[in-house]
Amino acid sequence: MKLTSEQVNEIALESRLVLNEQELAGAVRYINNFLDMLDRFRELDLKDVEPFSFAEALECPLREDKVIAFTNTQGIFDESEHIDGSYFKVPRIMEE
Amino acid sequence: MELYELDLYHLMKGLEEKKFSPSEIFTSCKKRIDACEQNIHAFITRTDDAMPEHKEGKLAGIPTVLKDNLCTKGIRTTAASKILGNWRPPYDATAWKYLHEAGAVLMGKVNMDEFAMGNTCGNSAFGPTHNPNDITRVPGGSSGGSAAAVSAGYVPFALGSDTGGSIRQPASYCGVYGFKPTYGMVSRYGLISYGSSLDQIGPFARTVRDLQIIMSVIGQYDPMDSSCFRGKAPDFTSNDNPSIKGKRIALVKEFQSFTLDAPIAEAMTRTRKILEDEGAIIVEVSLPVVARYAVACYYALAMSEAHTNLERYDGVRYGYTVTDAAGVKEMFERVRSYGFGAEVKSRIIAGTCLTEPARCDEYYVAATKVRTLIAQEFSRAFGECDFILQPVTPSLPGKIGEVDDDEMKGYETDLYTLPVNLAGLPGLSFFTGYAGDMPVGLQLIGPRWSDPEILNAGAVIERHTGSPKIANGGVK
Repeated sequence: MKLTSEQVNEIALESRLVLNEQELAGAVRYINNFLDMLDRFRELDLKDVEPFSFAEALECPLREDKVIAFTNTQGIFDESEHIDGSYFKVPRIMEE
Repeated sequence: MELYELDLYHLMKGLEEKKFSPSEIFTSCKKRIDACEQNIHAFITRTDDAMPEHKEGKLAGIPTVLKDNLCTKGIRTTAASKILGNWRPPYDATAWKYLHEAGAVLMGKVNMDEFAMGNTCGNSAFGPTHNPNDITRVPGGSSGGSAAAVSAGYVPFALGSDTGGSIRQPASYCGVYGFKPTYGMVSRYGLISYGSSLDQIGPFARTVRDLQIIMSVIGQYDPMDSSCFRGKAPDFTSNDNPSIKGKRIALVKEFQSFTLDAPIAEAMTRTRKILEDEGAIIVEVSLPVVARYAVACYYALAMSEAHTNLERYDGVRYGYTVTDAAGVKEMFERVRSYGFGAEVKSRIIAGTCLTEPARCDEYYVAATKVRTLIAQEFSRAFGECDFILQPVTPSLPGKIGEVDDDEMKGYETDLYTLPVNLAGLPGLSFFTGYAGDMPVGLQLIGPRWSDPEILNAGAVIERHTGSPKIANGGVK
């Protein structure tokens, strides 16, 4: 099923991307060509096929439960312009 | 001969025998960079202002460069994107940590396609890198800066990352060796994520023996990456007299009817003869699911994972930001819309589309099942052979700026590389010779954890083809 430019624009906004007219036209063409490519999957009977996982990943490896010091916390804060003490500051999300 | 022309092994040997010093190597490589960089544009950030303090170790005094998606503590790391701005990571990627601890000297961070999305090294916020063999041509991507730096003699080895061919394809285009290890062989900790179930770090070098030296340093367990292998590190020591006698090396039946540029088809014929002369048995395997569905499967998964991985770029924690947004939604939208390039935006939107509840089963879940079929198909094939020989790409590198409006057609050219990532296999891109000025590479792939064996097989081929020469880098 082909997606309309309204649908693609909605998906872009969900991704927090605002597209101009030219970008939106390109995105509509791109997505629809891509979905055409994926329609090949319909040729396969996947009903009894398990989703992929690496054999080694069946067992979840856990690190020893001990505290490891991270000494460069300030290095993390130095990279943001939105710091208040030891907090990241984000713009207000609720109306007063 | 200038020191920058020596390969890694001979630099290490010369240092051990005190024929020259680390600072002489540093100066020679720096001069080479200064001579060629205006033509090649491999660097995003240079760190070769001064020779760093000497460290002891296996790689003491050996210069290298890193793809700019590998975190380096206190050194700008951009993933070739505007959105990371001047971000300086607070820690080192494990692969770089191991190299640094072994004494390697960082000359800088090199160019790539933004967030590793592309195969030309042209999707970069810092402009394109040029192929050192012919500066009008692309070096390949996404690790084009790493391949170009090794090809031009800037450094004897470099690190890149390979999500769907991003080490093997630029290695082939630039005329160097590139190795994509088994998924889990090298820690991904500190690698800026694109498709986490596909990404893998690996080395570029001008000889197979040099790849083996680097793998022996970076191929070690790391508790910081839960997908990293556990247990004893494999032995990557080069064999003085490697052999492939009796090995079954397969050609893929379904690929035989696909069109290849003449130099690549000729390289396949020559390499087959080399393998037969060395006592290998050439067989045929069938990979019908790979041939028809791997490209669609790969892009469905890569884009879905990319959309999730790139959600973190919100303008709050690092990189480019705005301070005058009316609210959080506006801030996110302005930061992301300006910060990401066109290809990255397309892939994020596609990934969001495929993983929405209404379409998730039809596309994303289906792709994870197709991936199972692909891995099973490879597993069966490796019951019938030891390695598979195939092209890296169907054609030689194109001109910089050539744009194909049909992106899907461009994606189809990745058919020879991306199935390897879907199945988590190791793949070696090796040099076979030149067609005019341009190098021609091919690829050997093997079962999971066959990394040492595949490199030994590469060394056998190298004995016949010789190692690539250093590219002129646009300097006459």
